[in-house]
Amino acid sequence: MALADLSTDYAGRKGAMFKLALKTGILTVVTAGFYRFWMKTRMRRYYWSAIRPGGLPLEYGGRPTEKLLGFLTAVVFLAFYIGVVNLVLMFFSFSLFQGNAPAYAVSLVGITPLIFFAQYRARRYVLARTRWRGIRFGLEPGVAGFVWRSILHWGLTAMTAGLYWPVKTFWLEKYRTDRTFYGNARMHQGGRWFMLYPATKHIAIGAVIVLVTGAIIAWQETPALAPLTVIGAGWMVFGIAYYKANAFKRLTDAKTLGDIGLCTAPRAGRVLGIYAGGWAAISGVLFGALMVVGIIMGLVLAATGFAVQAWLGGEDLSSIPAFVPVIFGLVVYFGVFIFYGVLKEVFITLPMAEHFAEETRIVNAHLLNDIHQRDRDEFGEAEGFADALPLGDAF
Amino acid sequence: MTYTYDDNGLVQSPDPNVVFADYNDGHSATVHRVMLELSHTELQIILPGGERLGWPLMTLRALRDQARAEGIVLTDGHGNMARLTIDNPHIAAHIRSVAPNLEARAPVDNWGRIIGWAGGAVASVALIIFVLVPIMADQLAAYLPPDGEAALGDATFEQIRRALGDDMLPVQTCEDPDGRAALDKMVARLNPDPDLPYPVKLSVLDNDLVNAFALPGGRVVLFRGMIDKAENPDEIASILAHEFGHVVNRDPTRDALRSAGSIGVLGLLFGDFAGGTVVLMLSNQLINAKYSQSAEAGADDYSHDLMTRANINPAALGTIFQRLMEEYGDAEGIAAHLASHPTMRARIAAAEEAAGDGLAWTPSLTDAEWAALRQICGPAEQGDAGGDGGLSGAN
Repeated sequence: MALADLSTDYAGRKGAMFKLALKTGILTVVTAGFYRFWMKTRMRRYYWSAIRPGGLPLEYGGRPTEKLLGFLTAVVFLAFYIGVVNLVLMFFSFSLFQGNAPAYAVSLVGITPLIFFAQYRARRYVLARTRWRGIRFGLEPGVAGFVWRSILHWGLTAMTAGLYWPVKTFWLEKYRTDRTFYGNARMHQGGRWFMLYPATKHIAIGAVIVLVTGAIIAWQETPALAPLTVIGAGWMVFGIAYYKANAFKRLTDAKTLGDIGLCTAPRAGRVLGIYAGGWAAISGVLFGALMVVGIIMGLVLAATGFAVQAWLGGEDLSSIPAFVPVIFGLVVYFGVFIFYGVLKEVFITLPMAEHFAEETRIVNAHLLNDIHQRDRDEFGEAEGFADALPLGDAF
Repeated sequence: MTYTYDDNGLVQSPDPNVVFADYNDGHSATVHRVMLELSHTELQIILPGGERLGWPLMTLRALRDQARAEGIVLTDGHGNMARLTIDNPHIAAHIRSVAPNLEARAPVDNWGRIIGWAGGAVASVALIIFVLVPIMADQLAAYLPPDGEAALGDATFEQIRRALGDDMLPVQTCEDPDGRAALDKMVARLNPDPDLPYPVKLSVLDNDLVNAFALPGGRVVLFRGMIDKAENPDEIASILAHEFGHVVNRDPTRDALRSAGSIGVLGLLFGDFAGGTVVLMLSNQLINAKYSQSAEAGADDYSHDLMTRANINPAALGTIFQRLMEEYGDAEGIAAHLASHPTMRARIAAAEEAAGDGLAWTPSLTDAEWAALRQICGPAEQGDAGGDGGLSGAN
């Protein structure tokens, strides 16, 4: 039956995202990080609702308070782990090896399974709170299998200096996708373990150019080839963008939900353009803002003239309360910190989500009508462990 | 009859109170194109089969933080998954004007659990930081082999030198040969070695801080600011004897193990939000190590004994404490470590009592040696220190 594919609209707007990210970012800093559970919830609501397959928005139904509760749960557990385990490790490290490096190494190795654990649990929470057409997504329990697979595949990736990376990506994605549900329908990750290697071709070409020209320059002492090396390095950068777009396409095209399929075609050039344009915009805006602050301070100094000069001359610098420079420093530090986060959402995350969403279609969408609701996954721990551990903010 | 068309090109009824929208019943992923009718109290949803659902205007809720702000996604306010998606901006605006509780939030029903867990989290973190970690640190410190302690002290010493230095340049140690010889003579005269499992390693750091502290493994650090502040060599000898007391009692080892445990927990609570501050706190904690009052009293007692044994007037500890207290108050800033809190006066009295009366003490250094010690960081530094304002003050 040749029905039209369901294409995806994107409704996110840079201006609205700027306002939301700035407001919630400031509140987070003002509340010493306490508001971050609300910030995350609101940002996700926006990002989810911006993606509209077939014109109907995704919905994020997570609540801030359950995130707070999950975080507190994780803190109780982790405080014990980090406090006591680190202390004991530090003791043995200094007793046996006369240094703290082994303690940090063991501590890191000890915390790695916990990070994989947190990743899977966070994915489960987020999927359980994602809905579309009033139907919940879900992720089957299965964290133990994910943790040992992650340790194995990441270990192999480290041992092969990254050559194993595409295989690792495939197997971990397959593990999660095969346990993902939309309503009562289970998703399936098709394809073979080696299928992401073709996506690395432009990284490989660039690497070969760099290595060959580098070797010739070193052996034959012909610096004339140096521009070729630079081209090779540039090719590798393009190769990374190509990998991001093409690996996503290969994985997504091979995902099925019964007979329903996905079809996507993100463009490497666009991905590279978003990164390049985004970073240019971010550094431009930040630089401009700091310039404005500098100019204002200069004007203030000029306007107040001698008074300030005498004051700066060091007559009684100690009469300025110590907290004045501290507060000024904190304001500047957190100002840059907030702005950087906000601009990254506006100029990188949002356009990237827009591009990937708009390029993705659902095939055989009429079969969606057969899908039914699944039960709510209560999951009181939410994403507490991922919140407490420094995992970055991948959603 | 005339028809109007909405944004999606779908037909709209000419009657302004009858329009179309997308309805999901929360049981199946099927999208129903439904007709809407608005009465004074209800939004009526007319399914394609003719079945009517009535959603009271009073209980209608809108999803928040939606990317497509001109549209609206409604729920009936009873927490189920049924969704009504209205894209037409006019209809969305109209509904907003007639439904009074669209923005009302579902009551948070788990405040009890949140408060319970928050209390539990605070209690367990407090228990770990203030009880478990200190007890373990106290126990383990006694078992740490001398080599391990020395390594711990060396690592910490380098950290502190870097933390106090400018940019990448650590603070210099002062090594003027004559000054060093005088200092070595003073240590030899005090002779704490019989009490220690390892020899004392004494360093002078070229910094204005009026402070001295002990690190694990017999490392004792004296700041130039303290030498500048002393009026006679016995005062420096008394400070050194006090720090040797901490070393003998292994206070710094306990403190270092304790902070290894508790700093990690604090970092966890504030997350990457304050990542950089943790490092600052760590070095700050080590420099201004606040030992318990009994640890301070223990070090004072040891100082009195050692000085008496070496035939140096133990009252010197009292005189320099007295001067620090007059200058900085009872427990202020830099001197807080030496001037530990309310027992200051008692400690001065104890030093005077230890001195007894009428005994013939021998000064710890000759005038020439004392002059050499005061120049251990080079003659120029003395002149510089005066104008620096703030910490060291005029001689």
